[in-house]
Amino acid sequence: MGRKLLLEKAHVEGIRYFDVYRREGGYRSVEKALKTMTQDEIVEEVKKSGLRGRGGAGFPAGMKWGFIAKPEGVPRHLVCNADESEPGTFKDRYLMEFIPHLLIEGLIVASYALGSHDTYIYIRGEYAWIPDILEQAIAEAKANGFLGKNILGTGFDCEIYVHRGAGAYICGEETALIESLEGKRGNPRIKPPFPAIKGAWGRPTVVNNVETLAAVVPIINEGGEEFAKIGVGKSTGTKLISACGNINKPGVYEIDMTISVEEFIYSDEYCGGIPNGKRLKACIPGGSSVPILPANLLLKTAKGETRYMNYESLSDGGFATGSMMGSGGFIVLDEDQCVVRNTYSLARFYRHESCGQCSPCREGTGWMEKVLLRLEKGEGKISDIDLLWDIQSKIEGNTICPLGDAASWPVAAAIRHFRDEFEWHVTHAAEAQTRNYGLAHYADAIHVPV
Amino acid sequence: MSDTPLFKVTIDNISIEVPAGTTILNAARIIGGDVAPPAMCYYSKLDGSGGKCRTCLVEVSKGSEKDPRPMPKLVASCRTTVMDGMEVKNITSPKVVDARASIVEFLLLNHPLDCPICDQAGECHLQDLSYEHGKDGTRYEFQRRTFKKHDLGKYIQLHMTRCILCYRCVFAADQLSNKRVHGILDRGDHSEIATFIEKNLDNNFIGNVIDVCPVGALTDKTFRFKNRVWFLKPMDAHRDCPNCSGKVTLWNRGDEVYRVTARKDQWGEVEEWICNDCRFEKKKTTDWIIEGPRLIDRHSVISQGHYAGNIGLTMPTETFSAVHHGRQPKLLMDIHSVSEVNQTDIDLSSINGPAHSNNFNSNKD
Repeated sequence: MGRKLLLEKAHVEGIRYFDVYRREGGYRSVEKALKTMTQDEIVEEVKKSGLRGRGGAGFPAGMKWGFIAKPEGVPRHLVCNADESEPGTFKDRYLMEFIPHLLIEGLIVASYALGSHDTYIYIRGEYAWIPDILEQAIAEAKANGFLGKNILGTGFDCEIYVHRGAGAYICGEETALIESLEGKRGNPRIKPPFPAIKGAWGRPTVVNNVETLAAVVPIINEGGEEFAKIGVGKSTGTKLISACGNINKPGVYEIDMTISVEEFIYSDEYCGGIPNGKRLKACIPGGSSVPILPANLLLKTAKGETRYMNYESLSDGGFATGSMMGSGGFIVLDEDQCVVRNTYSLARFYRHESCGQCSPCREGTGWMEKVLLRLEKGEGKISDIDLLWDIQSKIEGNTICPLGDAASWPVAAAIRHFRDEFEWHVTHAAEAQTRNYGLAHYADAIHVPV
Repeated sequence: MSDTPLFKVTIDNISIEVPAGTTILNAARIIGGDVAPPAMCYYSKLDGSGGKCRTCLVEVSKGSEKDPRPMPKLVASCRTTVMDGMEVKNITSPKVVDARASIVEFLLLNHPLDCPICDQAGECHLQDLSYEHGKDGTRYEFQRRTFKKHDLGKYIQLHMTRCILCYRCVFAADQLSNKRVHGILDRGDHSEIATFIEKNLDNNFIGNVIDVCPVGALTDKTFRFKNRVWFLKPMDAHRDCPNCSGKVTLWNRGDEVYRVTARKDQWGEVEEWICNDCRFEKKKTTDWIIEGPRLIDRHSVISQGHYAGNIGLTMPTETFSAVHHGRQPKLLMDIHSVSEVNQTDIDLSSINGPAHSNNFNSNKD
């Protein structure tokens, strides 16, 4: 069993409350950071740790912190992105629900490192009960001198505010999140300027995912180099994976990124295999917006090597034969699932969540949904498949924010790997309404040319 | 300003030096012609506009002198500033031409294409864009989105179905009026321009949203269905207005002023904002001091054969009598009705030259 850094104490009785959390060794990193380290040392430590942003893009967190502009007399802000709305991803909810003080602790350290005196947690509206948990944790931390004025007598002031979103996926995009935080319509801003230069209220702002900020705690406690030893290559530390779909044990797992995908799905320690003796058909390994992979390409790369649960291995082969780690929303599809239906359901989500600001995404997502619905209902044409391919290629890369890409990648990957299933939906329209296409060759071993 | 460094930028192999901070689009507009990318949402007079419609996408094949890497994606030229030594491909890049054609398709996807009954037809930027950059035909086979009409008061008609959501009117209202009452409701392809809830737009400068609208979504109620723009003669005129500069373009037919708009430059952008009084209430030639005909630079329908010179119009060099071999033309004006011509006992082919009423009337005597 791999090492746990974040969820190690998550199930200690009463860990949600300050006393228990403190007794279990909580808030040590705040004492260490504020009393013995300078701001630059913390940033340096995070850089050394190789911690990558856990929100999906995997951008090195230390580097992001290094970019923040520090003009004289202008306040800076840290914003925690808890607008976790990606279908299939629910790791942040778990963390905030069970061990909220870990996030608060990470936020205090990060606020100190970045010089943010007003720090915000932007939480999605659907998580209606979690703000109460967080606010209680903040109040407890404040009562014990870890928040507010003059924290631990070091002279550093910091307040954390919880801001509830109103239920829009797009507000997970950092500039849209900032707009929404400012009280405006959650439309992504056009970059540059990046938030590190001009963010919330025109001030330098860093937006980090919940898990990224929580991971700062073990980095400070144990040192960046120790953290970097866990994992492999550029995938350092541990990662929370929220597994769902056709598996025996759905839930949130903390992995150290050295285990293989096969082990993750089939071992009893993690997902526990696929129920009812079904076979694996496909998997979306990193949340709904990353490309779907058929079983054979999921377990082995195109070169025939074992695929591991880390950033590099999952994206091995690019989009042609690989996928992405994304935000860690691991969705497993067994042989009874229909890829066309699954793709339609994702396209419907993205059409509904497009902010409507730029034309390719606003119009293209709706078009894709309609074509996919037609295919799913058995009213499609063979040319629809090429049409879909063309639409997605025209959306990708031409939009303001990554939602356009996120909407087009699942469609592109589904057509790339499951084209025969789409064709079957056209040629056997009536049958497709009652029976699934099944496994076909998706689970066959890959033939690697020597 | 002398302290702003000049950056050299090459767009479609044409080099130009512009001050640092200029956007690619504005640099291309200085060069002019086909090099300037089309812009549906960018409006140089409105802060924060641009970046939304994606028609101005260009390829940056060389980032700058210092960092010559090309940019990985096509960039919105209206919001990307130039770097020294930047090389940009607009119409010389097949990728851009292809992407732009698809953007036009996206924009027209839910557009009703009701140009025959639309007041904007003839001066519509979306029409121009589709003619210049679009493909013929559409691959969209579904029902287009429609909206119910919103009443925005006595001057402005909102026809949301035609809207391409460029946000220009929102920016204009935000920056010209002190209390904006309209904005975007909802999200995605069902988002709409609307007031919340059903308010009038009554700011004295709100009429300018009609001018900034690139399509026929916001139209002038005092002009709706009165005339086609290409039948009207644009005349520059001014009046002593207490609220605005009073410099406008009158759109006349005969002596009648059909509508008043602000003066627009060659990119279709308003030169000076005008107030509602000038725009909606002063519809008599006596209200105005007429300066002369307005030159319309754009290649749109209204400029064809009117004032713009030789666009598509060549004058024949032969004289009429040379073509007619010396015969004098006869006027046909005094034929009063069809029945006079339509008589069975007259063989039109036997009449020498153009028929004249005398040919028909002589039989009746």
